[in-house]
Amino acid sequence: MSDLSRLLRLTRPLKGMLWLGFILACLASLANFGLLFLSGWLLAGAAAAGLGGIATQNLFNLFMPAAGVRFFATVRILARYAERLVTHDAALRVVSVLRGWSFERLIPRSPLLETRHRSGDILARFVGDTDRMGQFPLDALLPFGVAAVCSTISVLIMALFSVPVALLMALTLLLIGAAAPFLAGKPVDRIMQAYAKAADALRADSVETVQALGDIAFCGATERTLKRLEAYQTSLSAGQYRLAAITHAARQSVAFIGMLTAAGVIGLAANALQHHRLSAAELPMLALGCLAAFEQVSGLIPARQALGRAMLSARRVFALCDMPPPVPQPERTPPLPLTPDLTMQDVTLAYPGSHVPVLHGLSLSVQAGERVGIIGPSGEGKSSLGRLLMRLAEYQRGSVCFGGVDLRTLSTQTLSGRVGVLSQTFHLQQGSIRHNLRIACPDADENEMWAALQAAHLDTEIRAMTKGLDTRVGEHGVCLSGGQARRLAVAQIILRRPAWLLLDEPTEGLTPEAGQALIGSLLMALPAATVLCITHRPEPLTFMNRVLRLENGQLHPREIPAHPTP
Amino acid sequence: MQQIMQDRGTHTLPGLIRLSAIPLGVAIGLGGVCAALLVVQMGCLARIVDDLAFRSHPFSAEHALISSLLAATLARCLLQWCADMAGERAGILAVSSLRQHLFRHLFRVGPVGLAGEETGAIATALTDGIDTLHPYIAQYLPRAAAMVVLPLLILGVVAGLDGWSFLILACTGPLIPVFMALVGFRAQAMMDRQWTQLLLLGSSFLDSLQGLTTLRLFGRARERVSLVIQMAEGHRQSTMQVMRVAFLTSAVLEFFSSLAIALVAIVFGARLLTGHVTFYTAFFVLLLAPEYFAPLRAFSASYHARQNAVSAMTRLSALMALPELQGDAPSSLPSAPLATIICRDLRTGYGDGPDVLLSLSATFGSDVLSVITGASGSGKSTLIRLLLGMMPVRSGKISGLDEAGHPIPQKAWKIGWVPQAPTLLDGTIADTLRLAAPDADIEHLRKAASLAGVLTFIENLPDGFDTKVGEHGAALSGGEIRRLVLARALLTDPQVLVFDEPTADLDPENAARVAASIQRLAQGRIVIAISHRPDVLSRAGQVLCLRDGRLVPEMDKGIAA
Repeated sequence: MSDLSRLLRLTRPLKGMLWLGFILACLASLANFGLLFLSGWLLAGAAAAGLGGIATQNLFNLFMPAAGVRFFATVRILARYAERLVTHDAALRVVSVLRGWSFERLIPRSPLLETRHRSGDILARFVGDTDRMGQFPLDALLPFGVAAVCSTISVLIMALFSVPVALLMALTLLLIGAAAPFLAGKPVDRIMQAYAKAADALRADSVETVQALGDIAFCGATERTLKRLEAYQTSLSAGQYRLAAITHAARQSVAFIGMLTAAGVIGLAANALQHHRLSAAELPMLALGCLAAFEQVSGLIPARQALGRAMLSARRVFALCDMPPPVPQPERTPPLPLTPDLTMQDVTLAYPGSHVPVLHGLSLSVQAGERVGIIGPSGEGKSSLGRLLMRLAEYQRGSVCFGGVDLRTLSTQTLSGRVGVLSQTFHLQQGSIRHNLRIACPDADENEMWAALQAAHLDTEIRAMTKGLDTRVGEHGVCLSGGQARRLAVAQIILRRPAWLLLDEPTEGLTPEAGQALIGSLLMALPAATVLCITHRPEPLTFMNRVLRLENGQLHPREIPAHPTP
Repeated sequence: MQQIMQDRGTHTLPGLIRLSAIPLGVAIGLGGVCAALLVVQMGCLARIVDDLAFRSHPFSAEHALISSLLAATLARCLLQWCADMAGERAGILAVSSLRQHLFRHLFRVGPVGLAGEETGAIATALTDGIDTLHPYIAQYLPRAAAMVVLPLLILGVVAGLDGWSFLILACTGPLIPVFMALVGFRAQAMMDRQWTQLLLLGSSFLDSLQGLTTLRLFGRARERVSLVIQMAEGHRQSTMQVMRVAFLTSAVLEFFSSLAIALVAIVFGARLLTGHVTFYTAFFVLLLAPEYFAPLRAFSASYHARQNAVSAMTRLSALMALPELQGDAPSSLPSAPLATIICRDLRTGYGDGPDVLLSLSATFGSDVLSVITGASGSGKSTLIRLLLGMMPVRSGKISGLDEAGHPIPQKAWKIGWVPQAPTLLDGTIADTLRLAAPDADIEHLRKAASLAGVLTFIENLPDGFDTKVGEHGAALSGGEIRRLVLARALLTDPQVLVFDEPTADLDPENAARVAASIQRLAQGRIVIAISHRPDVLSRAGQVLCLRDGRLVPEMDKGIAA
């Protein structure tokens, strides 16, 4: 299926609104034609009658055409107003449909977003591309449809008065309506692609630069970064300038051809007048009609550009949303027992594109209620074990049973109902502390929140903040210290009361005492939880029943290190 | 150009307009010539039609008029093109210099000054926000000028042709801008709201995406879909509120102009019937009448460009107003090697907040590993930020001395910084390292990597130094990222090395290795590390223990046991 038809299918829920907008747009355009056409005739008719003497003056009825002029003027105003309201509203509705749709598509692809694409690009894609795709019916489709319908009707009306005039107009309108957008289309598409690339690069670089401001400055790379940003800007400006040159040139060409055609129409009409096939009053009418008809096609070249832009955006959005999800997420999943156990047998996991498996013939069995620690050198795939369990990374060989259910029949969504994950890369959302706790557990009331914060040893600090639970967390938890952010993540998990805890380097960035206290408080709040704890630090291990070491993709039993003196 | 960018005035709209004054002037001047040509064009057309329809001239007698009509049209099209392009030039000039200016400013603000801001919102302001200034300068301003020139010109011509029509146009014309100003005021307030919404939407999506996996682990990703739709719906509603006003304005505008044109036509119609005016006059005036109102219509169509630009400018000015905590980038001028850093009575804090460091004094010498320790929130990171020059002191002094005791300004210190969670830029490992030394060859990279203890790791990767690292180094572990950043810092042979939790995320063996290498690096350098881990503390030559922003006597060695 082509991108175009796919995009059209996505806009289907708003078909009625879009058709209504189209009809209103045609109405406004035709009313404009009628207005100019009729007023030309009115004026010339009155002049001809005036020249004809008293008799013709009395015969000339000024009332009917004047009423017609008023009618067309009113229709034009009302139809244009309604059309703008309807089409803009529809376009924005299309945008929200597209945003929801693409976000939903990205959910099972979330692991890919972390590694393959810069989130600056994603932001550009999502906000910018869905915007342009939403504008597509309004900016690209509507002008073509209106031009086709209205210029046909206009030419037919002209043909009632003079066939040669109508033929000349049909010819030039076709030239502008069909040939010009086609001719201008190719170079415009090319420039636009280069432009979009530079714009993407600038945007991604802006996000990155703002995020890594300090790192860049301390590498002495400030000037170089500014130069690179300036270079993007230069190529962006060049593209913008070239695009503008083509657009404006096309617009002025249409204006010139319009006037040229009007001259031709006048010539043909004068000829007909001489042969008495046309009355004097009809010549100005045809001239004005011709100018009005050209107004109908003047928007086609910008529309062609909008079409190119929308297709470019659609291609990128669809490409991103069509990446194969790394792990299939079944919609219907079998029910899980309340306290599941885990059995892994001979499991091998290799990431796509990498020849070396991270886990190789790994076996592990964890009973409900057990606390198991996994240690091992960094970069050995300890985290991959956790990702595998949560259905974020796919294993190629072996079998995994969680609560007696084959892991392949489960989804991250289902697993999240049983497993609480405290990972190295936890993410706090923008917004208040309350908002973040609500994300973890939407039903939690104020008391439950404070209880969870107390269990995570965060309550005193938050009570000391002037805004309390409504303190903003800031991006990546910037306004909280690293330790506070970690304890907030723990409070989030405590609120969810999961049967399983999957801890991935839970004490990182904390002092040994604080780390010990953190794990202690978490396990005190959730005493019955089965724990799988991935760590290289000694503090969490003292809480474990047994410890395994991950080496060369396999697990080997280890002794629990001595309890560090507090 | 340099001078222009330093101009403090560029961060206001009038400043930007001054910046692009020349192309803007060309655009407006050419627009005026085009207006005159339009009148000529319409005059020719009216004359031709009159001659052919009412004076029984044959078409062949009109060659001269037809030629002048086409010549005027051609000239007008060409000049209008030039005028439009001059406008584009003006817009591009303003946008690109403002963007460059803002980026430079952000570097001077530094990471501490930006800590409260959201990256997505800043990026949106820097890209989309600044982009809205282009249509304002390229289209709105020339149109605003055309709104004065063309109607006055037409009014003048009509005054010479027909008194009644002049009266009608002169009375109705000024009503329209008055009406628009009234409505525009309300639309502006709405637009301000919408702009905040747009920014909120932009940054909330970046946030939702970056946290998508976390949302899934909470089982909340599906719900987020409806929130995304809700945000888009909110955006639609607030946009439509503004649009409704804008569309109503132009509908009323059109009503006024239609009324005026109809009045002109009817007054002419009656007089034509009685033969009091010529068809030429009537037709000419009627051709000009829509053009009299056209600039107003075009102006009202691009009026939202002004509103967008003003709203965006508010946000951009707020960014511009952020205090430049960090100042200019450290200078790369060679200076005598730094031997000692002396901090005396340092006191500092964030924004208007209370002091975070209270009268802190310390000395950091070379050849000694200095470790700063203390509970979270004790002021460790703040002390480091002061040493790095990321924020100013409220009182007290930080001075650096060379071996002979001569002072070296802080800007001239060569500092390498290894944060706890560094941000890696997109690119390969080699690109990451070369951020500090763009001309370093592979041997240099290998040497630095080996000093940082990360060479074996890199060489064991299938693509070695050409391995891609994702945003935030998604493919590497925290410890590896920090070691890469250390290697990067070592490429420039810094006089001061600052570490924040260098052994976080590391298993005991690697942590011991890193701690040992940090101790080795202290030879001939000032090395300062924040840490509370025994592996680092046990190798410290000097331990500074902070509590509530003050130095306290070193803790008992309990944690290091």
